[in-house]
Amino acid sequence: MNEAFAVATHGLSVRYGRETALHAVDLRVPEGAVYILIGANGAGKSTAMKVLLNLVRPGEGSAEVFGLDTASHGPAVRAQIGYIPEQHEHDYGWMTGAQLMRHVAAHYPAWDSEYAAHLVDTLGVRADKKASTLSKGEARRLQFVLALAHRPPLLLLDEPTDGLDPMARNRTLAQLAEHLADTPTTIVIATHHVHEVESLADHVGVLRGGRLVAQMTRDDVRTTVIRYRAEVPEGWRMPAELRVASARRSAIGREGEWTLIGDRADVTARLTAAGATIRDVAPLSLEDAALAFLAEEEAP
Amino acid sequence: MLVNLDPNDGRPLYLQIIDEVRRAIVVGTLRAEDPLPSVRELAAELVVNPRTVSQAYQELEREGIVYVQRGQGTFVSPAVRRGGSERRRSLARAVAKRALLDARRNGLGVGELVEAIEKAAAEEGEHDE
Repeated sequence: MNEAFAVATHGLSVRYGRETALHAVDLRVPEGAVYILIGANGAGKSTAMKVLLNLVRPGEGSAEVFGLDTASHGPAVRAQIGYIPEQHEHDYGWMTGAQLMRHVAAHYPAWDSEYAAHLVDTLGVRADKKASTLSKGEARRLQFVLALAHRPPLLLLDEPTDGLDPMARNRTLAQLAEHLADTPTTIVIATHHVHEVESLADHVGVLRGGRLVAQMTRDDVRTTVIRYRAEVPEGWRMPAELRVASARRSAIGREGEWTLIGDRADVTARLTAAGATIRDVAPLSLEDAALAFLAEEEAP
Repeated sequence: MLVNLDPNDGRPLYLQIIDEVRRAIVVGTLRAEDPLPSVRELAAELVVNPRTVSQAYQELEREGIVYVQRGQGTFVSPAVRRGGSERRRSLARAVAKRALLDARRNGLGVGELVEAIEKAAAEEGEHDE
């Protein structure tokens, strides 16, 4: 199967001194995907994006964007990427929004000035103010314009709604949905606010302590991360081969609730064979499923 | 057309959109030849991947519930009538499936559920046509 990947990393490891930021990560982002990279702060999301942009070099392994090695083709790779970094400060704070847009337009031949004007209008960007005088939210919205207006084939968004009030968050995400409708593009969103982007996503990756502990399509999450409620006999034990993400036992009666990771039919069969009477089987929201992967105990 | 999506629903989003369109037709808020929002409009309103909306519209087109006019958009089929019996049956089947799932969760059998539905309907004073 030769699926085209917008992003592919191979055993990617990055260390900052003694700290391991990323360990043996094999990211696979298919072309055209909306991929959410989930993880707590410090889990390695920002580092992964910086490797793709060649702002950080791999310690071990490698990374490719549209088949180009990032470490040896930095400029060519960056030309295809629209990036919103985690911090909202602009490198050229002394420029106004308008000047920044002209600056970016000069470097990206695909810059669409009409689209830029539409984005400025829709997102309410103050193009006349110096970037360093913008509030966190205003700066964020300007970053959106700069990243989207040249319609890049790959968007890397690091906590894109951070610093925005709830209305602005909704407006920018709605604009992202429209952008997807108009532009052939791949989007990677690094966030720990899963809830608001989950309807946009079709792929998900979970980073825990620098390791990619899960990577699958949204559909696969629906069919493999499931909450089971069951009645179990006294002295019952969970079959050892099942992956338990979380467990709750009722204080009254013999009911328990477990979030298990695995094929639904297989897990159901194993639970039943072990003596459980299953009362409810419910798929989880992407947010709850991500929590399940993050909560999973590491194997001894 | 008001569409509400529930991320905890468990059904894929495109199915929820399809069901909402079907419901709007049966209830009468969407009528024959009414335009549906464009893919990008609905995607932006719901903040979902446009592919999800496309998938829903394609399935609705395959079922003959909507048709696509090139350059104009997607419209409800002329053959659709409010309360069309085929559509009502389809809607009833969906409701029945959800009820059966709920019954199973509560350890109830089909017979028990059917009996309980008839009793509850009689108490409300409603009668099936």
